[in-house]
Amino acid sequence: MTDPAELRRFERLVLPHLDAAWNLARWLARDEHDAQDVVQEAMLRALRYVGGLHGENARPWLLAIVRHTFFGWLRENRPPGLRSLDARDDDDPPLPEPPAPESDEPLAALARRDEGARLNRALAALPVHYREALVLRELEDLSYRDIAEITGVPIGTVMSRLARARGLLRAALEAEDRSATRPHLRAVNEDKRP
Amino acid sequence: MSTKPDPLELNAAVDGELELARQLALEASDDPAVRAQLADLQALRAEVREHSTYHRAPAAVHQRVRALLAREAAPAPRALRWRIAWPSFAAGAATVAAAFFAAQWALLPWQDLRRTEAEVLASHARAVVAQRLVDVESSDHHTVKPWLSARLDFSPPVNAPEGTQLLGARIDYIGGRPVAVLVLRDAGHTVESWAWPVQEGDADVRWSEQRGLRMAHWTTKGMRHWVVSDLNAQEFTNLVAALRQGG
Repeated sequence: MTDPAELRRFERLVLPHLDAAWNLARWLARDEHDAQDVVQEAMLRALRYVGGLHGENARPWLLAIVRHTFFGWLRENRPPGLRSLDARDDDDPPLPEPPAPESDEPLAALARRDEGARLNRALAALPVHYREALVLRELEDLSYRDIAEITGVPIGTVMSRLARARGLLRAALEAEDRSATRPHLRAVNEDKRP
Repeated sequence: MSTKPDPLELNAAVDGELELARQLALEASDDPAVRAQLADLQALRAEVREHSTYHRAPAAVHQRVRALLAREAAPAPRALRWRIAWPSFAAGAATVAAAFFAAQWALLPWQDLRRTEAEVLASHARAVVAQRLVDVESSDHHTVKPWLSARLDFSPPVNAPEGTQLLGARIDYIGGRPVAVLVLRDAGHTVESWAWPVQEGDADVRWSEQRGLRMAHWTTKGMRHWVVSDLNAQEFTNLVAALRQGG
């Protein structure tokens, strides 16, 4: 059981970043249910380690725990034959088809939603380390230094991952635009190697 | 600046992560290719930021985490007493408390299992790292079994299935009690088999994998068994089946 002082510390410093934890877990796992498992386990760990949290900015600290928990979870929940985290990301399950748009939506809202769906699809299809780098950079607005600390790699690696991630994302979006007349085609070229 | 920027540098520029002088030089560049690349990266950034979804934690997740916290706080009754003193909160507090205990109750076996698994792995790792697999080194179960029985308050099954070789045994400590560990060799791989008595009915084999090691555990005749090895899946399955028949 946790010391009440640590519990208060956790509520004050860590709990406000639950959305960030969820966002990262959700983008990594790409599934609500899996993200729930990851976040729950990550919050338990965070609570256990909150004593070791120094300084006031708990967000990178918590995100590091979330991603660590996610990769541990991935190792446990994927059959060993499919496990290759650093090479090709073949362990990423195929993406669900996007829902068909409803016909009576106003045109502007429809276009907007389409744009969001298009971006989400392309981002979700990125190999996990690129996806992670972009989510931390663009959605969490974290600095290279923070991203390097969270992902446990040198800043140079963060830079090359981001550059590669953007290149892949751009290519995926363009490929999707080209095949816009044939909707629901997978846009990402599977044999792109990191 | 005369050096041509590479993609990493351009990305760092749109991220505002370049050293200031270089950043200014890039922004002022009159090379159309550089300007186009920068503009493209800026546009892509804007697109991602504007259109990709920031997933906010659903209410159910907030509730779960709150329940988790409450469960951690449960043995500190002061907070609860304060709430109960507030009549309008009494019913709510009771419901919440009931939910905590339910959650705690539901999670208990799982946590126990995880703890045991970690302890078994630790026992294995200690033995391997310290290169001290066995306290009694013998391939004869008439030597190993009495040795274990003399040091434990139970008598663990000692058998080496066909095709395996008994290397010996040691005593370790798991879940707050001394346990027997048999060490076998199978096709060049080390296999360790833990056993200790429990007050529970039989349970079928559960499989797991940790750090590249295969693990299996089951309960039979009031004895909990755990087996750990780096054998491949098929060999491991066969071995566990053989151990279960023998034990």
